[in-house]
Amino acid sequence: MRILSHNENISLILSIGLLLIAARLFGEFFRKFKMPLVVGELIAGVVLGPSLLGTFYPKFSSLVFTSNLNASLALNGITNISIVMLLFVAGMELNLSLIRQQGKAAFSTSTFGLVVPLLMGYFSAYYFYEWYGRNSADKLVFALFMGTSMAISALPVIARTLIDLNLFRTKIGSIIITAAMFNDLIGWILFSMIMGMLKGSANHSVVLTLLYTISYAILMLTIGRFLINKSLPWAEKNFSWPGGFLSLSLGLAFLGAAFTEYIGLHAIFGAFIMGIAIGDSVHVTEKTKDIVNQFVTNIFAPLFFVSIGFKVNFIDHFDLSITLVVLLVAIVGKISGAFLGARLGGLSNKESLAIGFGMNARGAMEIILATLALQANLIGEELFVAIVIMAVLTSIMAGPMMNWLVKTKSNLDNNL
Amino acid sequence: MHMTMNPFQKIAVAIAFSPRCEAMIAEAKLLQQTLGSALYFIHIGNQTIQEEQYLKHLLHRFNLDNNNVHVVWREGDPVESIKEFCITESIDLLVAGALEKESLLKYVLGGVSRQLSRKVKCSMLMLTEPNIHPKSFKHLVVEGTDHPKTENTITVAMELAKGFQAQTIDLIQESDLSKLALIRSDEFKENEAGEKKIELLREEDEKLEEILRCVDCGELQIQTERIEGKPGYVISKFAREKNADLLILNSPDKPMNLLDRVFPHDIEYALADLPCNLLIVHPKGKE
Repeated sequence: MRILSHNENISLILSIGLLLIAARLFGEFFRKFKMPLVVGELIAGVVLGPSLLGTFYPKFSSLVFTSNLNASLALNGITNISIVMLLFVAGMELNLSLIRQQGKAAFSTSTFGLVVPLLMGYFSAYYFYEWYGRNSADKLVFALFMGTSMAISALPVIARTLIDLNLFRTKIGSIIITAAMFNDLIGWILFSMIMGMLKGSANHSVVLTLLYTISYAILMLTIGRFLINKSLPWAEKNFSWPGGFLSLSLGLAFLGAAFTEYIGLHAIFGAFIMGIAIGDSVHVTEKTKDIVNQFVTNIFAPLFFVSIGFKVNFIDHFDLSITLVVLLVAIVGKISGAFLGARLGGLSNKESLAIGFGMNARGAMEIILATLALQANLIGEELFVAIVIMAVLTSIMAGPMMNWLVKTKSNLDNNL
Repeated sequence: MHMTMNPFQKIAVAIAFSPRCEAMIAEAKLLQQTLGSALYFIHIGNQTIQEEQYLKHLLHRFNLDNNNVHVVWREGDPVESIKEFCITESIDLLVAGALEKESLLKYVLGGVSRQLSRKVKCSMLMLTEPNIHPKSFKHLVVEGTDHPKTENTITVAMELAKGFQAQTIDLIQESDLSKLALIRSDEFKENEAGEKKIELLREEDEKLEEILRCVDCGELQIQTERIEGKPGYVISKFAREKNADLLILNSPDKPMNLLDRVFPHDIEYALADLPCNLLIVHPKGKE
């Protein structure tokens, strides 16, 4: 086993320390303006990375942050692991029963909120390919990715917005949460298929990729989930708890990730489905889940989001026209889809529009999706920057727009 | 001991000529005595003279050979026939015996009682251990979850509790924190996440208090308790641990199918392993 040298070790540890502190400081600063932590964490990366500090003080930047090749490789490994863990936590947050028990309004909202942006993203990317800049030559896979990236939602951002607006317990809040969960579930399954298709040319056919994806999801969510649920009481009795849960659940997440990566799907898919299977167990309390969540979202998530700013120069690769196209397709697609679904579900125009803006928030999940696509050379840096900007803007605008549409909870309740 | 407001005017009792038949009739007798309802004994299968006479004999033994008791014989699929009968006769409550636990295969495919509980459009009482010397329900565990059906369920539970002179009534608020968990602390300042959760749960408490103010509880002693965890599972666990006589739950909002067993609907946690007798309350006049 190769080990890092003394200097490489120092460089790696120094980077991690500084990145974590910078992420927290920027995150807290932007939170004061009612913005999600992830916005501050991203901006920390942009400020400290090649976009700003690297441009004006290149020596200082390279001295402090990942100047060493091996240390930077190690840091990259840590951020890759962070993505797996983030998807595992996202999976744990999904509530299958809630999705299954959704009512008519939530069903139509989630269906249209998924299908309309997906189709808009797909067709705009397929037929107006050049609008999105230099991306993968595989037009079909690229168009499928754009469709999926337009369909995904940001559950934590949405939940926070609903709470701030006192809408969390209303019918609107319930519809948005359920629909966003459903969109995420389908979105990540689609994305895994796309990543599999991307690798497919080298490993196996598209049909086989689809078969693997669906088989893994079905097996893990039925037999796997059943076995996990049956084994947890034994583990709780024999291991220290909840510490044991932390290591066991993350261990299973990595095993699931390794397995899906091995069969030609993406590692995140294995972790995401494992997260759903574990999170759905009746033996896992929210308190226990919170321990895993705290561990991942306060240590690994900031490292990942700050590191994005180091991977791409946001100033050099900012392209206004691509950004506008992405914003337009994303916002129009999501809002119109969710609006249509909510209207068909029997909600009023204002309520439906509020649901549309709520579901329009893309947040951290969109950024993870774009990062993986960038790493796989599916999208170019210009489009990556545009998607990140779209994710941030849609998250920021969700709250004020919903607030404007639905002034008070009592007004809403009168209509329920 | 008749009740002031009987929620179940018409009770259908599904019977099979099994060793439990006598006990089911005894349980039906107790229900009629307590509630003053009309009874409909329904059997799906061939109507033989032997069985007819045996049933007559049992009804006579339990003093159930009166105008308020009817015997119905039907042929065909037991679940569909009983379901149809309940609709045409506007039955308020269907009573059937049920094993506490069925084999995994039978559970997934669905035994008659459990299939009925998923399909009938009226309330349903599943008796796990019918007895020829039936005991009244002294300890009731009632669902108090924040749901539009809960008020009706609590009203029915209170009427039953008064009728059966129940001594303990546990009203359980199940807190499914899976949605609340989305507001984890990474987006909040210290204690803010916890405070928000408490605030949201307080709204639920207030709604339940309002229901209890409106429902006629008489002299009943009601204990309310909040339990965190999966709805359906935690209340079943509670009923089992407390050795309750009757667990009372809201009916599901939609007809249930196989997927509701694979990805369990709340009520399926109770049906998978009945902790005690189970009453599923379906609001009258609602599909």
